[in-house]
Amino acid sequence: MVTTRTGGAPAPLAVRAAAWHLPEHRVPVGELPEVEGLDAEHRTVLAGLGIDTVAVDRDLGPTGLAERAARSALARAGLAAQDLSALIVVDSRAPETLLSSEATRLQARLGAEQAVTFGVGGLGCVSIGPALLAARGLLAADPDVRHVLVAHASTPATPGRYRHPVTVNGDAGQALLLARTGPARVLDLVQETNGAYWDLFRVDYRDRPWESWQEECRDLPGYSFRLAVETRNRLTALLDRLLKRHGLDRADIAGYASQNLSAGGLRFLAESLGVELLPECRENLARYGHLGPNDVFLNLWTALANGRLAEGDRVVLVNVSPVAAWNLLLVEIGPWESTA
Amino acid sequence: MTDTAIEIREFLTVALRRPVAPDEDYFALGLADSLFALELVVFVEERFDIRIEVDDLDLDSFRTAERIAALVERKRAGLATGGETGAGRAVRG
Repeated sequence: MVTTRTGGAPAPLAVRAAAWHLPEHRVPVGELPEVEGLDAEHRTVLAGLGIDTVAVDRDLGPTGLAERAARSALARAGLAAQDLSALIVVDSRAPETLLSSEATRLQARLGAEQAVTFGVGGLGCVSIGPALLAARGLLAADPDVRHVLVAHASTPATPGRYRHPVTVNGDAGQALLLARTGPARVLDLVQETNGAYWDLFRVDYRDRPWESWQEECRDLPGYSFRLAVETRNRLTALLDRLLKRHGLDRADIAGYASQNLSAGGLRFLAESLGVELLPECRENLARYGHLGPNDVFLNLWTALANGRLAEGDRVVLVNVSPVAAWNLLLVEIGPWESTA
Repeated sequence: MTDTAIEIREFLTVALRRPVAPDEDYFALGLADSLFALELVVFVEERFDIRIEVDDLDLDSFRTAERIAALVERKRAGLATGGETGAGRAVRG
């Protein structure tokens, strides 16, 4: 388990500004190209996911999506790319080329010459956790580090966007500008992994052309049952631990937000934790589909923009990945007007 | 069929919206999803006052009403957790 305290308060970490690039082109999931080849069972599951449309990028590519989001986040903070002390890119699940670096590619596109730049990943949606841990570590370790940008572009790993029976992937770029202070303070982060599930879902690619890439689940009953119940147990224990060490209980939390996989997935998490999720989770799910590590902060920022949260509110963000990884963030809302 | 198995079968019949035979493998029939799994485990825990731990999560122990009943009896008797196939150990890693 990753813990964030070695005694005393955690090192300060806050989101100073955040931005997303969500492509304007939105496709109803019933019109996705792969739907034509689905059997009746798959179509039924797809129709019940709670996803109406997905945003589809046709021009920018992953780095372009991340770059758009990054430029917006920097502009909102009144900073230039040269002001960045560090740039952390949450890597794509399927990079466009091997051996190359998505992180330094984005660094070059932004002109962030002064930024210590590297990529993190390997945990699916939960990869936002290691990115935040790395950012906090940099801010804690070096007083000269003032601004760290965490960026990610969510795009499908396969030609098809429908991941039976889990979700439908949309396209989106996200950028979080992190500093020691800001309107969303990340008070704490807890994370666990269980490598027994490392290849529960996978895409074989070495012996086939890209058009044939397909996500496969090696153990669907295992996914539906064992991992589900383990997730309930893990998240419950992690939430209890997270709140306890801040002297909080569940009634002290103003809202919970999770990743957006499906309507059933949202119900599952809510029932597992015995909480209600912010309605923005369901709304963004319906509108954009699943955006990987981008979901939880998009949901949080949407709730803030909707006026659902106020200064001083504490929020818990929940990420789960079948690799398997579990990550909970405790966030405290500061003066929100400063980011509007 | 034991009283425990009867109660579990009644739960399964309601949750899956179809009759379930005591030895019917509803996982093999594709009737189970994550939400159902959660509801099933919560029902078993609350109704029979036991706690299902990660080590108990051998799918073979949950495939049928009769197997769940056997797990409940083992847990009530305080026997070691984990299924016969060792899948529970695999989850533990």
